[in-house]
Amino acid sequence: MARLLPTVFLIVAALVFPYSVDRIFLHTPIEREMGTAQKIFYFHVPLAWLMMAFAVTSGIAAVVQLRRASVRAEATSLAAAELVLLTGLGVLITGPIWGHATWGHAWTWDARQVTTGLLWLVFAAYVLVRRYGAAGSDRLAAALAIFGAVDVPIIYYAVRIWNTTHPGNRVVATLPAEMWNSLWPALIALTLVSVALLLVRLRQELTDIALDEAWILFNERDGHEQQHS
Amino acid sequence: MSNNTLEPSVAVDPGDEYEPALGLDRATKACVRACEAEAAAKTASDYQHIVWSYGILWALFAVYGVSLWRRANRQRVEMMDLERRLKETP
Repeated sequence: MARLLPTVFLIVAALVFPYSVDRIFLHTPIEREMGTAQKIFYFHVPLAWLMMAFAVTSGIAAVVQLRRASVRAEATSLAAAELVLLTGLGVLITGPIWGHATWGHAWTWDARQVTTGLLWLVFAAYVLVRRYGAAGSDRLAAALAIFGAVDVPIIYYAVRIWNTTHPGNRVVATLPAEMWNSLWPALIALTLVSVALLLVRLRQELTDIALDEAWILFNERDGHEQQHS
Repeated sequence: MSNNTLEPSVAVDPGDEYEPALGLDRATKACVRACEAEAAAKTASDYQHIVWSYGILWALFAVYGVSLWRRANRQRVEMMDLERRLKETP
């Protein structure tokens, strides 16, 4: 059943996504001040939520990895970190496009933009260390993931602590019902696709680890037999 | 707005069914057209921004999906190689 989950999630997402686009463009009123460009919101904000959720997941899995030397936690941390890069890139591209349309500037160096950019860079460093680091660098990488997860509350509270171009956190909570009704399908579609990709990547990482162990065992046995012959 | 409305230049007989078209003076029409053009330009620009952002977003997911698919293929080949070698060794 677990093997089928990504496929099920992708099928449901494929059904929800057209409904979501239909709702956003045909059944949601155009926002008075920002105009049609505000419709970027329906994917930009869920992507940002997912990015933060994956960053926290990666950080928590890294803590478990360090404390219990768990292979599964290590694989989860890496898979979630890659999803941070994917969703984070989406946020960092759709945000400036929306900003260019409504603020007149793609990048204003406001605290939320900078802390989001920092989060992305930290997880890029994490993935690079995991990929190209020497033996034992997985522990250093885990520390990076924890550092990245700590950035998440800073991103969330950035609009309260500093003066930012981004609106406050209460804006989303006080949206009119018709906008919420369009936000939910977009959030569900993106979550399903992202979690499906996370599960596939997690399984691949576990397979990679199992394959590495199998090759080591094979080479040891092969070398042992050659010595005897 | 009523000050800018053009009055019919032809005197209309009260019993006549003919109704002359009423319009706006040139200045008001130019102003309305300028507003409409500005709104149309904003909408067109917004649509471009939306198409780019949605396009890039789903392209990113597609590229990541393809990279996962390629990795799965590489793993399958590696697993077959390992199985073959295990069968070959006595």
